[in-house]
Amino acid sequence: MARIIGGIGTSHVPTIGAAYDNEKQNDPAWAPLFKGYEPVAEWLAEKQPDVMVMFYNDHANSFFFDCYPTFALGVSPNHEFADEGAGKRPLPGIAGHPELAIHIGEQMISDEFDLTIFQERPLDHGCNSPLSLMLPHAGGWPLALVPMEVNVLQYPLPTANRCYRLGQSLRRAVESYPEDLKVVVVGTGGLSHQVHGERSGFNNTDWDTEFLDLIVRDPQRLAAMKHVDYVRLGGAENVETIMWLAMRGALAPNIRELHRNYYLATSTAMAVTLYEDEVPQ
Amino acid sequence: MNPQLTGIEELTGTYPFDIRQSIKALRLNRFFWQMREHEARERWLNERSSAYDAAGLTGEERALVDNTDWLGLVRYGVSFFVLEKFARVVKISNLGMYASMRGETLEAFLRTRNVPGAA
Repeated sequence: MARIIGGIGTSHVPTIGAAYDNEKQNDPAWAPLFKGYEPVAEWLAEKQPDVMVMFYNDHANSFFFDCYPTFALGVSPNHEFADEGAGKRPLPGIAGHPELAIHIGEQMISDEFDLTIFQERPLDHGCNSPLSLMLPHAGGWPLALVPMEVNVLQYPLPTANRCYRLGQSLRRAVESYPEDLKVVVVGTGGLSHQVHGERSGFNNTDWDTEFLDLIVRDPQRLAAMKHVDYVRLGGAENVETIMWLAMRGALAPNIRELHRNYYLATSTAMAVTLYEDEVPQ
Repeated sequence: MNPQLTGIEELTGTYPFDIRQSIKALRLNRFFWQMREHEARERWLNERSSAYDAAGLTGEERALVDNTDWLGLVRYGVSFFVLEKFARVVKISNLGMYASMRGETLEAFLRTRNVPGAA
């Protein structure tokens, strides 16, 4: 049986990927960010999951508003990364896991989560920014990726509670997969930031801290919040942290936080966290 | 009204991108979306009117683009996430866009940040 061995929450700011590509690991302005990913990279190297399921959002690269899916599951054998206009990042493509993805699709749609299924749509910085800091990839990636896209761009968005329940459904799907696979689930986005309007540059570290506490011990409270609450507390684009709730839903009710890093440099509060079930499966 | 956004109007300087905006500005959003592609960037740089004609943009929309009026474009109904692709074409950073929308210079905006050196 497949099982979920842990969860990761991470920001997906494009500048993280750019800083990596420009080798800013030892730049004093960026070192606190890179250092924060090291325990997560070490955990992944030690646990060696077979598959990573990542809740991410496309930033109008592979999907456009002529048809923008609320939830979309990537089932391709291989995933390329998107050229967002500045050229492709120097990253190899990453394997998908069609058999697990098909199973997730069949189970979750049967569970009344009506996922869109996508193939051969390149994955943008919503996926590749954090991936490049978490996993070695010279010569290829050490695990397969099953991407799950969430609409956090064009209202109406799925509710926070819907995302939480989406994660719970994912857990049921993974646990009903017959092959022994170790699966890690990643929720991306946030934390506080706003990138449009006169309120651009808004941050709220108090809220970010409270969010990071609540995601561990009281996710139902976060799930009960409306989008407007996320916008008020953490800035307009902070609403994307509903994708962390999808990750949280895929974990047990009681979890342990193994690692947390928080760094606010310019405009987006960047966090990375690591969780395991309190009682491992 | 979207029940998840009740009271959003109290948050001044915030413009949720929703289906109404998306319908109104579909052509303009698509024009910016296509700036991912080299050919679209070159066409705008070299034959601006023809690029606008092909995209079917109105006079008001062309003026907003010509003026790189970031705040005006957002208010009109453009999604930030396509707009940032156009910002690369005119060599403006995202931080530069935020400063402009706040009505500040980039230098003044960076002085309000924790680690300006990360810019």
